[in-house]
Amino acid sequence: MQHLVMLIVAAALVNNVILARFLGLCSFMGVTTKVDTAAGMGMACTFVITVSSIADWALDKFLLMPYQLGYLRTVTFILVIAAAVQFTEMVIRKVSPALFKTLGIYLPLITTNCAVLGVALLLVEEKLDLVESALFAFSSSLGYSLVMIIFAGLRERIALAEVPRLFAGPPIGFITASLLAMAFMGFSGMSAN
Amino acid sequence: MAEAPDGSDTGTGTVEGVAKVVALDDGHAICEPEPTGSCGGCMSAALCGVKSGGTSRRIIARRFSLVNDVGLKVGDRVVVGIAPATLLKASAVAYALPVVLMLVAAIATQHWSGGGDGAGALGGLGGFLVGLVIARWRATRMTSQGELTPNYLRRVRTPPSGTECGLD
Repeated sequence: MQHLVMLIVAAALVNNVILARFLGLCSFMGVTTKVDTAAGMGMACTFVITVSSIADWALDKFLLMPYQLGYLRTVTFILVIAAAVQFTEMVIRKVSPALFKTLGIYLPLITTNCAVLGVALLLVEEKLDLVESALFAFSSSLGYSLVMIIFAGLRERIALAEVPRLFAGPPIGFITASLLAMAFMGFSGMSAN
Repeated sequence: MAEAPDGSDTGTGTVEGVAKVVALDDGHAICEPEPTGSCGGCMSAALCGVKSGGTSRRIIARRFSLVNDVGLKVGDRVVVGIAPATLLKASAVAYALPVVLMLVAAIATQHWSGGGDGAGALGGLGGFLVGLVIARWRATRMTSQGELTPNYLRRVRTPPSGTECGLD
């Protein structure tokens, strides 16, 4: 069980998808104007990343590797992710049309972002079993959501602060993101211990 | 604090979204949410599939109705709001609950069966299905209590986002 805890900490904090691997930066800058929206988007991405990563893992293990089709990995994973996004929308719509409509008004449409593909490719490299892969994908997306929420909170505060005109908007956002990335570098010390 | 679609702070304490009235029906306005991209947008937003939101079929499926007691007309753009806690609860019910139950069930099944991907997969699938059943029950309760109904806040007077050419 200890190695599962280590896996969660490493995927969520030490090798954070956004701040250590620099994946998913488009949504990191685009959906982090409000904490509630960022949290909702984080949960949606957690669902998509976990489901698509499990499907990608199974496809890689039972089809691509046995038949030496590794060179088709990226293309296959992109197709699986696109299908997972459609599957997610379909499932939510079947579970509750009212929920589907409400989330459609207030949350951005789930689209394929590089974090989803990045996590799927990383877990294939790690050579993990099914549960470890699922946990790795879930923890990575948890780290993604955590950073989105922290950054949205910071941006809500910055919106109320007096920022010099030249730094207003994206520039101060990038400066804040770089400070946050440096703070997260502190977690890399945990792997050394 | 709430933020209007044009970036101004409205201070209403709600999460806001923009929709367009596409039809009127017996005292109700049928609205279509304006798609928002999950990225910040850039100078090539007009050419980007991410920003444009998706197919019309997907948008039509998201249509909802509002009680039209403010004289809305077809083509009006309106701001609708929902409590932040409700949005979080809805996201948790729809997305977090099935995934968390899937993971817990997969880990538990694999642990008790002594390892093996097959058992973990079956357990995960079972947990996922149970999660969907619970999500359905919770969503039905939220719907019956009117929590998921968007509230009309005001009309929008600014042009739709993405119509500017971005060349200035």
